[in-house]
Amino acid sequence: MERSQDLALGLLFAGLGLAAAWQAGSYQGAGGTYPMVLGLGLALCGALVMLRAARSKTDAPRRLVDVPANLVKALAAGVIYVALILPLGFYTASALLMLALPPVLGFRRPLYTAVVAASFVALVWIVFSLVLNKPLPAELWAASRLGG
Amino acid sequence: MDFLLNATSAVMATGPLVAMLGATLLGVLIGALPGLNPVMAIALLLPLTYSMDPLVALAMVAGIYNGSMYGGAIPAILLRIPGTPASIATTFDGFPMAEKGEAAKALKIACWSSAVGGIASALALMTVGPLLARATLHFGPAEYFWIAMFGMASVGVMVGSDPVKGVMAAVLGLLLGTVGIDQLSGQARYTFDQPWLLGGLDLVVVLVGLYALPPVLQLAEKCDLKGLSAAQLRLASVPFRKGEVKGLLPTWGRSSLIGIFVGILPGAGGNIAAFLSYNAAKNASSEPESFGKGNPQGVAAAECGNNADNAASMIPALTLGIPGNVVAALVLSALMIHGLQPGPQLFHQNPVLVGGFMIEMLLTSVLILLVGGAAATRIFAQIQRLPGVLLVPSILVLMCVGVYVINGRPVDLWVMLAAGTAGYLLEKLNVPLAPIILGMILGPMAEQSVRRALLISRGDPVELLTRPISAVLAVATVAMILWPVMKAIKRRRAKNMSENNA
Repeated sequence: MERSQDLALGLLFAGLGLAAAWQAGSYQGAGGTYPMVLGLGLALCGALVMLRAARSKTDAPRRLVDVPANLVKALAAGVIYVALILPLGFYTASALLMLALPPVLGFRRPLYTAVVAASFVALVWIVFSLVLNKPLPAELWAASRLGG
Repeated sequence: MDFLLNATSAVMATGPLVAMLGATLLGVLIGALPGLNPVMAIALLLPLTYSMDPLVALAMVAGIYNGSMYGGAIPAILLRIPGTPASIATTFDGFPMAEKGEAAKALKIACWSSAVGGIASALALMTVGPLLARATLHFGPAEYFWIAMFGMASVGVMVGSDPVKGVMAAVLGLLLGTVGIDQLSGQARYTFDQPWLLGGLDLVVVLVGLYALPPVLQLAEKCDLKGLSAAQLRLASVPFRKGEVKGLLPTWGRSSLIGIFVGILPGAGGNIAAFLSYNAAKNASSEPESFGKGNPQGVAAAECGNNADNAASMIPALTLGIPGNVVAALVLSALMIHGLQPGPQLFHQNPVLVGGFMIEMLLTSVLILLVGGAAATRIFAQIQRLPGVLLVPSILVLMCVGVYVINGRPVDLWVMLAAGTAGYLLEKLNVPLAPIILGMILGPMAEQSVRRALLISRGDPVELLTRPISAVLAVATVAMILWPVMKAIKRRRAKNMSENNA
C-alpha cells in the first residue's frame, strides 16, 4: 500500500516539476531560469521518492482515508455550500449547511442542531456584517424583495 | 532596549489590551476542544486582521497561541485526550491525577506551569532577539538568499519524518510562490491567462485551506455525536499547599530552558519540548517510578516545556525571517498582510511592531493565570459537551467567510477547498505542510535576493559564496540537506556490519 502510494506521489510531483520547468522555458531571462530550476528540483525530488519506493522491500499498509463515507459527505457538503454561496447568499447557504450536514453525518437531534445553527449564523452576522461591516454575497430573498 | 519602551506604550492602548484578553480566552477554548488546534485557529483569524492595526492583529495571534497551549491541557487531564499535539506528555500524569480525584489540582499546576514557561520564553525572545538582529545588519542580498535557503532546508528536513518529502514540499512552496507577475521583469508566470492569478496565489487563502480543512475533515470522519456529560466535567477548586510551589521551581526552571532551546531550533515543536522536559524531570526525580502514575511534577514539566517553546520559536522568525514552526510562519504571514516583508530587515525597519509583539507574548502568558483559574477552567471544560459533529459545518462557515472577505472573490473559496483537500491527502502521504507555506513566504525573498546578488556580481554565481557569512550559510544549508543522507548511509553500514557479524 505505502509503496504504491509513494510511487504515485513521486510520479505526480515529478510530472508537476517537469511541466513547470517546461512552461518556465517560455519565460524570458532570469524570470524563467528561477522557476525552471525549481521545476527540475521538484521533478528530482519526485523521482527520488519514486526510486525509493521502487527499491523498498517492505510495503506497509497506510490508510489514506479512515472513514471514506463521512469524508465524502463532508467534502461534498463543502463543495455544494461553496457553489450555493453566490446564488443563495452567504447567510442562507451557511444556515442550510449547518442544518443539513449534522443529520447527514448521523446526528439525530434536530432542535439542538437548529439552535446551534441559528446561534452560530447570528454570531457570524454580528461579527462580520454588523461590527466589521464586511461585504458578503447578498441574500437571494433580500435581493428579490428589493427587486420586486 | 529603547524600542521595548516605545513598544510598551503602543501595546498599553485599549485595542491591543482588549485583543490580548479576548484572544487568550478564545485560545484556551480552542485548545480545550480536541480536533481544533492553534495553527487552525490562527489561520482562520488571519483574514480578519486585514483591516486591523498590526499590533492588535499580533496581540490576537499571541493570545490564541499562548492560550491554546494551556487549553490543550484541559482535555489532556480530564479525558486523556490531548487538546493539542503539544499536550500529549501532559496526559501521562495529568489523567492519573484526575483518576485519583485531583483533576482540579492538575489543572491548576498546568495553568501555573504554562504561565511560567510562557513568561520565561518571552523574556528570552526580548533579550536574545535584539542581539541576533544586530548581527544581521551586515547582511547583503547573498546572505538573505542563503538565509532563505537554510530556513527552507532546515524546516524541510526537520519537520516530519521523511526529509526527502520535506524538501519536496519546500520546493513545491517555492514554485507556488513564483505564480503571478514577476516583480523584477514584469512578466506573468504560471497565470494561464487568468486575471485573478496575476497577483499570485493568496498566501492566506492557501494557508486557511491547508491548515483548517484537514482537521475539519478528520472531525467529520471521527463523527463524535455525543460530546461529554456534565458528570465527567465536575471540578472543585483546590488551593496550593504550603511548599508545593517551591517544590515545582526546579522543574519550572529546567523545563523553561529546554523549551526555549527547542523553540529556537527550526523544525522542532512544542510536543518535542514537552517530551524532553518530561523526561528531564523524570531523570532528575528521586522517585522516577511515580511518573506516569499521577506525579504533579510530570504535569508541571510537560506544560512548562510546551509553553516555553512558544515565544522562543519567534526568535529566528523575527530576526532572520526563518520561522521555526508553523505558528511562527503564520506570524510572518500576519506581518505580510500588513505590507511588512519578513527577513533580517524587519527588526530594523519596524522595531516598535516587533518589540510590541514580544511584549504581547509576555502579557498573554501572564493572562493565562487570569483566564485559566479554577472557575474559568470549569467553564472552558463545558465546551466539551458540544458534539464534534456540530463543529464541522461551523468551522466550514468560518473558513469561507474568512477567505471571502480577503478579496471578495468566490474563486478564492475554490482555491481554499482545493488546497485543503490536497493538504489532507499530502498529510496522509507523510508530506509535511509547513515547508509548503514556508516556501510561499520565503520564495519571493529568495528569488529577489539571488537575482540582485547576481546583478551586483554581473552574473558570476561564485560571488554568492565568497563573503564569509554567505559561505558559512551555504555550507550549513548543504550540510542540513546532506545530514539525513549521511545518517541513512551510516545506518545501512551499521546494519550490514551487524548482518556480517551474525
